[in-house]
Amino acid sequence: MTLKDCYTSLGGNFDEVLGRLRREQTVQKFIYKFLDDKSYSLFETSMANQDYDEALRAVHTIKGICQNLSFTKLYEISNAITQVLKEGDYNKAAEMAPQLAKDYSQTIHAIGEYKRSQEA
Amino acid sequence: MEKAQKNSFVMRFLVSSFIGMLLFSIIVFSLLGIYMGQNSKHSVYEIGDIYMSGMNEQMSRHFETVLKLHFDQVAGVVAVVPADNHDKESLYRELIYRTQVRGFDYAALCSAQGDFETLYGNPIRPINPGPFLEALLHGKQHVAVGVDSTGKEVVLFSVDAAYPMRNGGNSASLVAAVPLNYITDFLLLEDENLLMYPHIIRPDGSFVIQNPNAELPQFFQQLQRPAENTLPENSSMELFRTAVKNREECSTMFVEDGTPWQIYGIALPYSEWYLISVMPYNILDDIINNLSNEYLLITLFSCAAVLIILSCIFFRYFSITRSQMSELDKARKEAQGANKAKSEFLANMSHDIRTPMNAIVGMTAIATAHIDDRQQVQNCLKKITLSSKHLLRLINDVLDMSKIESGKLSLRIEQVSLREVVEGIVSIMQPQIKAKKQSFDVHVENILTENVWCDGVRLNQVLLNLLSNATKYTQETGSIQLSLFEEESPKGENYIRVCIWVKDNGIGMTPEFLEKIYDSYSRMDKDRVYKTEGSGLGMAITKYIVDAMEGSIDVRSEIDKGTEFILTFDFEKATTKEEDMVLPPWNMLIVDDDELLCATTISTLKSIGINAEWTLDGESAVEMVNQRRQSGEDYQIILLDWKLPNTNGIQLAKEIRENLGDEVPILLISAYDWSDLEEEAQEAGINGFIGKPLFKSTLYHALHQYAGVDAEEDQAQGVDVDLSGRRILLAEDNELNWEIANELLSDLGLQVDWAEDGQICLDKFQSSPENYYDAILMDIRMPNMTGYEATTAIRQLTRSDALSTPIIAMSADAFADDIRRCSECGMNDHVAKPIDIVELTRLLKQYLA
Repeated sequence: MTLKDCYTSLGGNFDEVLGRLRREQTVQKFIYKFLDDKSYSLFETSMANQDYDEALRAVHTIKGICQNLSFTKLYEISNAITQVLKEGDYNKAAEMAPQLAKDYSQTIHAIGEYKRSQEA
Repeated sequence: MEKAQKNSFVMRFLVSSFIGMLLFSIIVFSLLGIYMGQNSKHSVYEIGDIYMSGMNEQMSRHFETVLKLHFDQVAGVVAVVPADNHDKESLYRELIYRTQVRGFDYAALCSAQGDFETLYGNPIRPINPGPFLEALLHGKQHVAVGVDSTGKEVVLFSVDAAYPMRNGGNSASLVAAVPLNYITDFLLLEDENLLMYPHIIRPDGSFVIQNPNAELPQFFQQLQRPAENTLPENSSMELFRTAVKNREECSTMFVEDGTPWQIYGIALPYSEWYLISVMPYNILDDIINNLSNEYLLITLFSCAAVLIILSCIFFRYFSITRSQMSELDKARKEAQGANKAKSEFLANMSHDIRTPMNAIVGMTAIATAHIDDRQQVQNCLKKITLSSKHLLRLINDVLDMSKIESGKLSLRIEQVSLREVVEGIVSIMQPQIKAKKQSFDVHVENILTENVWCDGVRLNQVLLNLLSNATKYTQETGSIQLSLFEEESPKGENYIRVCIWVKDNGIGMTPEFLEKIYDSYSRMDKDRVYKTEGSGLGMAITKYIVDAMEGSIDVRSEIDKGTEFILTFDFEKATTKEEDMVLPPWNMLIVDDDELLCATTISTLKSIGINAEWTLDGESAVEMVNQRRQSGEDYQIILLDWKLPNTNGIQLAKEIRENLGDEVPILLISAYDWSDLEEEAQEAGINGFIGKPLFKSTLYHALHQYAGVDAEEDQAQGVDVDLSGRRILLAEDNELNWEIANELLSDLGLQVDWAEDGQICLDKFQSSPENYYDAILMDIRMPNMTGYEATTAIRQLTRSDALSTPIIAMSADAFADDIRRCSECGMNDHVAKPIDIVELTRLLKQYLA
């Protein structure tokens, strides 16, 4: 599995990220780091605790990371949730949260697959 | 009509009340005058009475004194001459001597029977001896009037004295006499200035002394006549007669010959006489009349004065009221006018909005109907785009105007490059101008300061509005000019004055329209410009923006000759260091048909260090090039205008190349888009293109590349070298994002410190030595302290680098509001996430330069 395949399976834009970070090693280094990023779990706990300010910050961070790493699909849903949270529409955000969970796990899964294929 | 009636009613009311007041005051004041006159008449009469009584009393006293003196003198004679001298002659001599010494004219001895024995002087006979003798017998002192033999009247004084008389027997009294005028002197009969005239009468009414000035014959005749029954008991005549008889004081009035007389009587002592003073009332009346005339005059005068003052106040008040009324009327008309303009505007707008809306709706319908016909759909979409843009412009105008009218339009002052503004405008305007086949000239004269502080967007809006009006109202093949030049600003050294002229030779404006050109919703008369569309707000918005920028806008226009707008702004110079723009001392040739452009370009080139020559047409240009060639001093660079008389720049370039070969760079200058000409131009051997306007920096950057290899390298590289080793403080809460940024920035040779949130960023900056960090990159959304708060806090620190350290925001929020907030907090710039390393490098280079 190549890095490009990984991006295809997680719905990202590989050309864009390579244009930004220039080297595949760098891209790889950062997507591995994404596995350890705590933003998503922070979002989940905050939503569960109805701490929407914190949730907004968390999802905003996810959005920023996605932009940096060109995770297009995950970016779209995190951006949408950022918007509704900014507008204070918490019910809508709660409705959209499962989609974020789905896209997030898809991303994590794709990166995990890639990592395993590299280590193998 | 109704108003006129109302007005005339008001006028009538005012005039009638004014006249009424006038009459009323005249009557009141006259009555006052008359009443005062009457009063004063009474008072004067009373005073006259008192005066007469006083005078009479005084005269009577005087009379008494004079008589008493004479009596005393005679008594004195009697006292010093003893009666027991038997020598009669010596006695007489003694008496005569004594009497003469005392000033008497006459002396006699009088027997008890009234016989006079004259001692000296003319013999005298008393006129009315009865009372005299009676008093003599009773031993009373009494005077009488006598007449001597020459008819001269004298006053006789007799004092008891028993002297032997010549005829034997003793005398009863010694009688001495003085001329009558001795004692009548006090009556002042001759004094004509006196108001009153005294008479002396006897009780029977006969005169002792008659005053020649006031004879009053009737009165005295009546007085002399015995009482008549015809006269009533209490008539003034009777009262007076009784008073005379009883020797009482009396005052009465008598009318003779139509003249009223005041008559006052008092009894005189030492005699039976009565002193009567008369005073003609007409003298008093004259005084009184004079007085009351004066009163009347004064009251009339004061009346007039009061009236004049009142009228002054009245008319002033009237005129004030009138002007207020007319102002109210004016305000009302203005309000109506504004209302009308708004209604007209709404009518216009609904038409203007409906036109593109119809196009959009219609084209959408057509596109839907021909959804499979790709070309048709494309065509429709193109038209829809055009209409939408037009619609958007209209709506933007209306929004701007409503912002202006509610006072919400504010300027965003930022650092702006005039060159970029003008270049931007030129490229926007080109298609429009080209479509109307108009010629477009841009002159930039000695603009030395290109970077200034102003609201670039609004400045753009103003220029675009003026230029698009210029193309709109100029016929095809007309010409449009944009000129810029710089002057010293009266605001000080840190400012420059930029003058911008926008000139066309279009249809112009009428003087009437010029007066209301900046009014909202005004448009030129529809007969001439019915085709032109617009909100009618453009000039109002322009004027407002120019005012907000503290600039001025002037307009000159003439029908069918054209219009000229002159803008003047005072901009603050931007502090960024201008690059030191110097090029080798080349010889250059400029060929342009516009003499002004040649002159200004040459002076600009001179400031870069280039010696340039210019010419206006192609033939002379070729000639000049050939001359240089022959003398072995070729031009190093040649600039050709695209439009030239009889030829164009490309044609001319071919001709020059024929003689010159390919060595010398030839550049084309034009305000028009280069892309259409590019191929043709390259074939003709043209090396490059410089777009008008020709700012100093435009010329510098365009010519820079021909300056040699060193310069080119300078231009191409530089970023990495410049930034290596510089220290950056990066505030970013997310570790992953931080690592990415760190990775990218480290590649540039930058040394990056990480601050996990705004608070840490502030702490790190605070604890670092001054000027340790060259720049701060600031995320916005961070826990504990946001990027806005952190920036505000840093800017408020008391360190030398608190204000100078550049802070660049990094955020995924790239809305205009967020950007404005960044600059409000004191951030220098803004870069959007995800990190675009090229953009970030550019910014860092700009701020770390």
